[in-house]
Amino acid sequence: MTKLFPVQEIGSLAKPKWRTKGLRQRLSSQDLFEAEEWAEKLGIQDFHDRAKSLLNTGDDKERVKAVLELSTLYGLRLFETTGVDNDGVGGEQQRVEMYEHVIKAVQGMNLLGHVHSFDNKYFNKGVAESRISRKHSVYVPEFLDVKKYAHRAVKVPITGPYTLVDWSFSGYYIQKQHASSPKTRKIDAKREFLLDIVEQIIRPEIRDLVNAGATWIQIDEPAVTTHPEPQEMELFVEAWNETVKGFNCKFSDHTCYPSEIGYKVLAEYAPKLDKCDQLALEFANRDTSRLGLDEDSREGYSDLNHFVNAGYKGEFGLGVAHVHDFTGNVSSGAGQSVGRDLIESPELVRDRLLFATKIVGDPGKIWANPDCGLRTRTWDVAFAKLANITKGAELAREAYQ
Amino acid sequence: MSPEIQLAGIHPRSERLIDLTRSYERAKASWSQVEVQLEQETKEVIKLQESLGFGHFSDGSLAWQDQLRPVTRSLKGVESGTRYSRWFDTNTFYQKPIIVGKTSASDIDPKNFLRAELLTGKRERKITLPGPYTFSQLSENKHYKNYADLLVDIALAEREIVQKLWNEGVTLFQLSEPCLVYQPYRESFRDQSEVDLALGAIRSVVKDSPGEFVVQTYFGDSALLLPDLLDLPISGVGIDLFETDISSLREQEKTPKKLVLGVVDSRESFVENPSWIADTARKFSEKVGAHNLVFASNSDLKFVPQEIANQKLEALSKASKLFERT
Repeated sequence: MTKLFPVQEIGSLAKPKWRTKGLRQRLSSQDLFEAEEWAEKLGIQDFHDRAKSLLNTGDDKERVKAVLELSTLYGLRLFETTGVDNDGVGGEQQRVEMYEHVIKAVQGMNLLGHVHSFDNKYFNKGVAESRISRKHSVYVPEFLDVKKYAHRAVKVPITGPYTLVDWSFSGYYIQKQHASSPKTRKIDAKREFLLDIVEQIIRPEIRDLVNAGATWIQIDEPAVTTHPEPQEMELFVEAWNETVKGFNCKFSDHTCYPSEIGYKVLAEYAPKLDKCDQLALEFANRDTSRLGLDEDSREGYSDLNHFVNAGYKGEFGLGVAHVHDFTGNVSSGAGQSVGRDLIESPELVRDRLLFATKIVGDPGKIWANPDCGLRTRTWDVAFAKLANITKGAELAREAYQ
Repeated sequence: MSPEIQLAGIHPRSERLIDLTRSYERAKASWSQVEVQLEQETKEVIKLQESLGFGHFSDGSLAWQDQLRPVTRSLKGVESGTRYSRWFDTNTFYQKPIIVGKTSASDIDPKNFLRAELLTGKRERKITLPGPYTFSQLSENKHYKNYADLLVDIALAEREIVQKLWNEGVTLFQLSEPCLVYQPYRESFRDQSEVDLALGAIRSVVKDSPGEFVVQTYFGDSALLLPDLLDLPISGVGIDLFETDISSLREQEKTPKKLVLGVVDSRESFVENPSWIADTARKFSEKVGAHNLVFASNSDLKFVPQEIANQKLEALSKASKLFERT
């Protein structure tokens, strides 16, 4: 891509109410009021025909399929309207969330119940109850819908094998271990479980996506930096290299919310990741909300130095917008704090991109994106954030050129 | 006498409470609805402890959004709300305390820590707080030039929190200090001088404070540190037996102190067999020469669904009886 500072999404958007309700029951025209408003904003011209067809559908399967397809279309158009250059899969509207969506497709795993993630957020945690295998395709039906409607490039985010294993209870895999030390049993179980996930679930999935036309797969591995010990990092590299082996497409890694030294450790291992063309990382969360190109103002981006110094040669997906609750202060010109949201100004995005360019050297290697998926923000907030990212990227292009 | 069983931190919320808090986030339920459920569930957690023969009662800390937050919100010179960090190697997060000024106790509202009114009639009440070293390690220091000064000020502030909670009837304070044994967030592991600072800070919290104190370590191997911890003027020390190799422990000359054995794993769903728990505790007891044992989970049970957490507590209760018989 010749355009400097292209903008990409990272993954999820919030699910509209009509999408969530429509999966459970028939919708009324009132349920689609919000969808109608957004249809106008997003230029979905055949909304009324689609709504009519959706409301008249008596068959549950057909309705669910139509709702998923329509919400995917909305997600794609939201990204397009805000000026994003790569639309991903339309905000992952066809997935419950990044973990549970995959686990439901795994034979031998059972979802045990929700555990706390943060604040009032939770995730449904699974356990391996027997040797695992793939029940059905995880991402291909979504990708086929995306292909129908996407006007721009498409990147398919998938949940990485290391994260899937790390966020699951080992169950069967730990009970079959015989080492006397509980710690050794855990380590042995993790490796066996991980290599099974790669071979039985992830590689077949990538094969199917590539066969269906996918050209860029983003592997989400947020769990990797939570275990910065060499043994764990080597395991991650082994699983990554095994995952991408033999496939002819672009691969990128997305890893966010590391421990303090997480990115430093990831940087050491990043050059060992085969075919890893891009690292999409979270920085805005740890940055100040004031304008400036000095190191103090842009303290959140200092970890980029580790990747450059370690010799990582690929692109960077630069987190330039916060995706969680924000209740701090915002300096003049840097954005607006609205309720529990921070809407970064284009100027703040610009400064973040230009500061990162100073570190990376080559502006052609930098993409702009939110820190992570925007699923915890409302569509209004996600729209405002993405629109300002694209404006900020434009300002950075102007400043650079 | 059979070993006492205790909760060692935040208990998981039920699916019902989880649904309600999610509905609240989506503006589909009111906070008062959440509060009603929180109260009912807190009562259930207390009742469960009664039925399993606990000696010290906790309210389960069901409203705590993370392990640090009530302390964070009780301190001057500390901001939060802009940054989330991962809780060690789990898929859970905490709001990172940002130290922006001299730190001291602010307006401490005991209600943010404890549902004392629901523990009426319970003479022995337990609460779990982050120890001063762990709190300071998991904060971002933007103010203190000297780390030791930060540690001292947090310890002094925590002493005031302890006093307030004592006034609410808390008699047993667990100071959780995972950072003493596990530091995945740092490039180099702490050295002895830092351990000395940390132990000094714990002494500052405990000094002249009412109540009984236990320092709980978890997620890391505490074998080397155990003698130092047992020297502290506290009543007990907690050890994660999923990370600490029993064979590497030294005999502690029949310490009179309580050893809180983290002998069910809060990060794994498999419910430990009571016989295995009792056997493991016996091996520990023989190896270390300690006889005043408490059975607990290695850390907060919030990392497993509530049903499993409750089964793990039941396993501890059965194991305690098995241990007594042998």
